[in-house]
Amino acid sequence: MTDVAATMTFHPQPQPGAPKPWAFPAPDRSTLGNGLTVLTSHRPGQKVVAVEVLLSAPLDAEPEGLDGVATIMARAFSEGTDKLTAEEFAAELERCGATLDAHADHPGVRVSLEVPASRLDKALGLLADALRAPAFPDSEVERLVNNRLDEIPHELANPARRASMALSAELFPADLRCSRPRQGTEQTVARIDAAAVRAFYEAYVRPATTTAVVVGDLTGIDLVALLDETLGEWTGSTAEPRPLPQITADDTARVVIVDRPGAVQTQLLIGRTGSDRHDPVWAAQVLGTYCLGGTLTSRLDRVLREEKGYTYGVRAFGQVLLSTQEGTGASLLAISGSVATEVTGPALADAWQVIRTLAAEGLTDDERDVAVQNLVGVAPLRYETAAAVAGTLADQVEQFLPDDFQAQMYARLARTGTVEATAAVVSAFPLERMVVVLVGDASAIEGPVTELGLGPVKVIAAG
Amino acid sequence: MGLTATSDGTQPQDSDGLTATEHRLANGLRVVLSQDHLTPVASVCLWYDVGSRHEVKGRTGLAHLFEHLMFQGSSSVKGNGHFELVQGAGGSLNGTTSFERTNYFETMPAHQVELALWLEADRMGSLLTALDEESLENQRDVVKNERRQRYDNVPYGTAFERLTALAYPDGHPYHHTPIGSMADLDAASLEDARAFFRTYYAPNNAVLAVVGDIDPEQTLAWVEKYFGTIPGHDGKPAPRDGSLPDVMGGQLREIVEEDVPSRALMAAYRLPHDGTRESDAADLALTVLGGGESSRLHNRLVRHDRSAVAAGFGLLRLAGAPSLGWLDIKASSGVELADIEAAVDEELARFAAEGPTPQEMERAQAQLEREWLDRLATVAGRADELCRFAVLYGDPQLALSAVQRVLEITAEEVQAVAAARLRPDNRAVLVYEPTGSPDEAADETEQEGADQ
Repeated sequence: MTDVAATMTFHPQPQPGAPKPWAFPAPDRSTLGNGLTVLTSHRPGQKVVAVEVLLSAPLDAEPEGLDGVATIMARAFSEGTDKLTAEEFAAELERCGATLDAHADHPGVRVSLEVPASRLDKALGLLADALRAPAFPDSEVERLVNNRLDEIPHELANPARRASMALSAELFPADLRCSRPRQGTEQTVARIDAAAVRAFYEAYVRPATTTAVVVGDLTGIDLVALLDETLGEWTGSTAEPRPLPQITADDTARVVIVDRPGAVQTQLLIGRTGSDRHDPVWAAQVLGTYCLGGTLTSRLDRVLREEKGYTYGVRAFGQVLLSTQEGTGASLLAISGSVATEVTGPALADAWQVIRTLAAEGLTDDERDVAVQNLVGVAPLRYETAAAVAGTLADQVEQFLPDDFQAQMYARLARTGTVEATAAVVSAFPLERMVVVLVGDASAIEGPVTELGLGPVKVIAAG
Repeated sequence: MGLTATSDGTQPQDSDGLTATEHRLANGLRVVLSQDHLTPVASVCLWYDVGSRHEVKGRTGLAHLFEHLMFQGSSSVKGNGHFELVQGAGGSLNGTTSFERTNYFETMPAHQVELALWLEADRMGSLLTALDEESLENQRDVVKNERRQRYDNVPYGTAFERLTALAYPDGHPYHHTPIGSMADLDAASLEDARAFFRTYYAPNNAVLAVVGDIDPEQTLAWVEKYFGTIPGHDGKPAPRDGSLPDVMGGQLREIVEEDVPSRALMAAYRLPHDGTRESDAADLALTVLGGGESSRLHNRLVRHDRSAVAAGFGLLRLAGAPSLGWLDIKASSGVELADIEAAVDEELARFAAEGPTPQEMERAQAQLEREWLDRLATVAGRADELCRFAVLYGDPQLALSAVQRVLEITAEEVQAVAAARLRPDNRAVLVYEPTGSPDEAADETEQEGADQ
C-alpha cells in the first residue's frame, strides 16, 4: 500500500535562505544609590517582564547544623512585610497577575518575579518590600519549616532526586556544604526558627551585594525612576561578598546502588566534577558533551534509545555548582536517564562502549558541524522570552562571568574544531573516574552490574 | 494555486495587534499564517485531528506510539533524519499526543522555515514507504520506557490514569489516557500502524500554522508546493460520542494502597466542555479556589489548618467530552484525609453559596491573563493555540480573543458553575494510603536539567 506516496510530487530538500542577524542581548548596567547593581534589557514584544534578583547568601554561609535556613528564608520573603500580612502579600501579588519564586542554591538565593509589563510598578514595589522589610512572622516560619519537613519524604521517593542526593554525598567530603542536601535534612530543618531566619537575613542580605536583572518590553516604563522608588529605597551596610569555598571531590570509579525494591526502572546518574565556565575548555566541552548525549540523535541515545529501546532517553550535561572570579569553582559533569530494570547491565555496558569508542575514534567532522549549527542556531529560539534572557544574565552575574559571556560563547563554539571537542569530552568523561549511582531494585541489578567491573559496588537503603 | 483564502480581510485584532489569516488547499489542508517580525524565528505547527479518543479497545496508546513512528523516516528522509535536519538547522522540534489531537512542531530560525515545511509534507505524504517492523519494535520499547519513567516508576504516577478511568465510564472514548496500557502497546502490529496512518493522516484532517518572521505569500507558495499534491481522503470515522450528563450523579471513589510518601486526596470534577463561557467561568472558579498562594484551599489547608503540604486545582480542558477539574492535595504527616475532605467540601459549599469576592475575581482574571500572555509569548505557543482553535472549534481567530473572553466572565457566572458542578456528587475521588515505612532524612538537588 505505497500508492499514496506514488501520487505525491516529491521535491529536493530545500536550501536555507540568508540567515538574519541575531545577537544575545547586551544588558545595560547601573548601580542604585544604595549600591544595588541593576542589569536591564529591553525586549520588544515581551509583555511579561522577568525580574531576577540575586542575593549573595550562599549555602556555604548557613550556620553549622542549620542546613536549609537559606531555603526557609527564601520562602519566607513572601510571608508578609512591614506593610502587609502574609495573606495580604500573596493576594496583592496575584492581583498583579504576578508569580514570585525564590530558592536557595550554592551561589546564593535567587528571587524570580514575572509580571505583565502593565503591572510591573506594583509588583516591583511588593518585591522591594519583601527584600527590604520581610516580616518573618514566627508562626509563618514555623509553618514553612513543618511544610519543608513534610516535603522531604516526597523528594526521597523521587528516583531522579534520590540519585542526585546520593551522588553529592559520594563525590564531596562531608564537611563541604555541596555534599549535603540543598534544602537541608530532617535533622537540620527541624532546628530552624524565625530567629535563625532573621539572623541569616541580617548577616547576608543587603542591597550592596544584591543584583537585579530586569528584562522585557519596557516601552513607556520609566525604569530608572521605578527602581529608585522601589529597590532603591532599601538601605543596608556595605559588605564584601563572602569568599567561596574550595570544592574538592573524590571521583574514584565506584558504583552505589540505592535500593528501591520492585522498581520497574533503574535511574542512572553517572558523574564527576569539572571546572567552572571560566575554563577555556568550556565551549569545547559543551560541544563534545552535546555530541555524546545532548539529544536523541547523540551517540548515547543512538544506541540506548534508537537502536536498543532501553530508555526514553539519556542525557550528558555539565552543570555549574559554584563558580568563582578566579575560575576555581566546580561543575557537575554527568550522564543521567532511566532504563528498564531488566536491561540495566546491558545498558551500562553499552554506555561504556559508546564512551570507549568515542575516546578511541573521536568525533567526526560532520558530527561537530551539526552540533555547532544546533547549539549556535537555536540561540534566537532559546532566548525568545524575557524569562530566558533574564535567567542567563543572572547566571552570568552569579558565576562572576562578564555580561557578554553568552554572546562570546556562540563565537567560541563556532571556532571550536573537531579535535578540541573530542579532547574535551573524552577528558570530561573518563571511565576510570566516574561515580555510578543507580536507584533501582538491588536484587535485580546488583549481580549484572557487579559483573561489568565498573568499580566496587555498594548497596544502600533508599530511606 | 488551488488556494482559497477564507479570511475576509477584516481580521479581529487582539490588544497586542496579533493577526492571523486562513487559507485552504484544494486537498483540504487548512493553513493559518501569522506574522511577527520582532525576532528572526518562525514556528511550523501541524495538528492532526486524531488522539487517544479515536483508539479502540485493545489498542490503547496507538495514537501516541504512532506519533513516535512519525520521527522514524519517510520517503525522502532516512532514519532519524527528521530530528537531524531540524537540529542541524538550529531548530527545535517535538510532537505530543493528547486525548483529542496529535501535534508536531518545529521552531526554526526564520531562514530555515522551508525545510520544516518540506519535512512535514514528506511524512504526511509518504510515511508508509519507510515504516518497518524494526522501527515499530524499537519505538514500542521506547514508549514502554516512557510509560515507566513518567507513570509507573514515580509515586502517584498512575493517579491521572486511575482518575480518568473513574471519571469517564468504561467504553467512553476518554476512559483511557494517551499513554495506553503495556498489554495494548505489546499488541500493536505494523498493520495497525499502517491502518492508523491511512485513516487519520491526511491533509484534510490537519491544520498547519506557520507563525513568526515569515513572508506570508512566500510561505503559502511553499505550503502549496510541498503539501499541495498529497491526496486527501475521507476514510476517517467520526469519533465515538463523548457526551455525558452534566453531573455524575454520585460520588465515585477508589482507595489506593501503595508505597507513596504521604497520604493524598485527589479528585476529578465533571465540568463544562471547553469552548463555552461556562468553561471559562469554571477556570476562574478553580483559580479562586485552588490556583495559587492566595486561593481559598491554599489558605484553608496549607496556611490555616496546616493539614496539607500542597493543595491546588487545575483544569483539563476538553472539547469532545466534559472537562475535568483536577484537585490534588498532599497531606501533612499525621493528618487524616477525612478531615481534609470535610474542609474541602466546606470551602466548596461556601464558595457555591457566596460566589467570588470582587478581589478574588480580579486576582483570578489577572492570573489567567498572565498565563495567556505566557502562552502567546513565543511563536511556538501562538502557533499551537491557533491550531487548537482551528481544529477543535473551526476558527483559529478565537485564539487571539481568548483572554478577552476570560475577562468578560462575571462573578455570577463563576458562582453558577461552582454551584452546579463543584459538588461531592459530581466527582471521582482517589485516596492514597501509604503502605511503606516512614522515611528518614533526605536531600534535594536539581539534577533534572537534562532536557528531555
